Amino acid sequence: MLRVEEIGKSFGGLMAVNGVSFQIEKGELSSIIGPNGAGKTTLFNLLTGHLSPDKGRILFKEKEITGLSPHGICKLGIGRSFQRTNIFPRLSAFDNVQVAVMSWRRKSSNIFLRVQKMLREETDEILESVGLGDKKEMTAGLLAHGDQRRLEIGIALGSHPELLLLDEPTAGMSPEESGRTVELIQGLARERGLTLLFIEHDMSVVFGISEKIRVMHMGSIIAEGMPEEVRANQDVQRIYLAEET
Amino acid sequence: MMESFFKRENAGRAIGLVVAVAFFAVLPLFIGEGSISLVNEMLILALAACGLNLMLGYAGMVSFGPAGLYAVGAYTTALLLLYTKIPFGLALIAGPVMAGIASIIVGWFCVRRTAVYFALLTLAFSQIIHTIIFEWYGFTKGDDGIVDIPVPEFLSSITNYYYFSLIIVCICVALMWMIVTSPFGKTLQALRENPDRTESIGIHVRRYQLSAFVLSGFFLGIAGSLFCCFNKSVFPDYADIMKSTEMLVVCLLGGIYQFLGPIGGSIVYMFLDKLITGYTQYWPLVLGLVILGLLIFLRGGIVGFIVERVAIARQGSRG
Repeated sequence: MLRVEEIGKSFGGLMAVNGVSFQIEKGELSSIIGPNGAGKTTLFNLLTGHLSPDKGRILFKEKEITGLSPHGICKLGIGRSFQRTNIFPRLSAFDNVQVAVMSWRRKSSNIFLRVQKMLREETDEILESVGLGDKKEMTAGLLAHGDQRRLEIGIALGSHPELLLLDEPTAGMSPEESGRTVELIQGLARERGLTLLFIEHDMSVVFGISEKIRVMHMGSIIAEGMPEEVRANQDVQRIYLAEET
Repeated sequence: MMESFFKRENAGRAIGLVVAVAFFAVLPLFIGEGSISLVNEMLILALAACGLNLMLGYAGMVSFGPAGLYAVGAYTTALLLLYTKIPFGLALIAGPVMAGIASIIVGWFCVRRTAVYFALLTLAFSQIIHTIIFEWYGFTKGDDGIVDIPVPEFLSSITNYYYFSLIIVCICVALMWMIVTSPFGKTLQALRENPDRTESIGIHVRRYQLSAFVLSGFFLGIAGSLFCCFNKSVFPDYADIMKSTEMLVVCLLGGIYQFLGPIGGSIVYMFLDKLITGYTQYWPLVLGLVILGLLIFLRGGIVGFIVERVAIARQGSRG
């Protein structure tokens, strides 16, 4: 579904992403882990068009998307959530999701429809599925942190992605909350047949749900495989697990 | 339950609307021509401010140069009526159309930058427009302005013109209400809140910003044309930074996050203007203090403050 070929990006002299290649199959739940500063978010930004790579190609469903704009890439079916909570704070939770649904339905530029009556069911359904059904009238900026993180996922779902990129979806959550969120994401992926790619620096979050894990270090992918394989990998243990002790 | 709540809110809105329009419609029966002329000025100011607020309050684009586009509308109508024999109606429509075209050009450059750079670009363009009007003496009559603009007989009485602008302002406000309550309007609000996120849900941010800019310019142009025919004259001051500031203050005074904010703002502004200039010649000083007070104590503006109080009272009565 997604094929990344030798992409690279440098900032000044720093090679943030250095010749990364990998492939994601449809329906896969995989993740990219690595210590802070490994280049994970930069890689995401390259995939979603927030940055354009210095070299390499990105293909989505056999179509080259390298260098397209973020809105163009979203329209093709790649959705994302952000590491730092990225919502529409003054709008209600409902509106947050509704604007995404409207965009996907190609209604955003319409000035003749009444927004109040539009796509309510679909929006409600998404809010329910991320557990915000009873908080939909609340102003998004006033929601608790965990709820804002879930709303963020709701916004991403609003644009009906086939491939969903989640940048540390449990950042800043308590362990129990993280667990619940991971379960929620797993359930959503199953129900909606999503292909998921996580970024995490906290390994415990992804070991439970990833079918495949890629480890990034200093801009390169140094290991790739099943969770157990990755856990057993010497290099990974040295550069990554050592950090935690 | 939610359904009935919305219906009640709609009914309340409808009643409010009818009362407001009826009030303005019968006003000329009770007050003199001098006051009617002021109310008319207020209506046109409200229209301009509402137009500005489309981009300011809804799309979150702070413009320091709305007066430039206002002046494009006014001068287009004035010059057409002065130099050509085209019908009055066409000249009036040409104003906002020309302002819209100017907005496409100005906006195309401005939306390439954000925040303070955007604001400064809008200011630069309005200064350019002001300079063109001021210096091109042979065509625009420079700082002499254009006076004695021929308007049709039936609009030469102040009361008739008042009704004429009341109708146009009502139509424009209704159109703007339609825009802000449409998917497009909601998307603009999302854009105001978080442009990057909006881009990531598949919105072409610059295109939407440009659309907001052009719509704003169009309504500013209508206000300009309307005012020039009312005054039967135009001056380079129309494009001046003072005029832009006035529109911005009106929006802030009423509250930029409320649809009715700029309308409430223009009512209060005109009152303050006329009241204070009656007592002292230091109106700008008082205005400065008012702005200071607003920005520090009443960030949501007057209408914003009222809406907030009503919401709190409602919640209190429910709980």
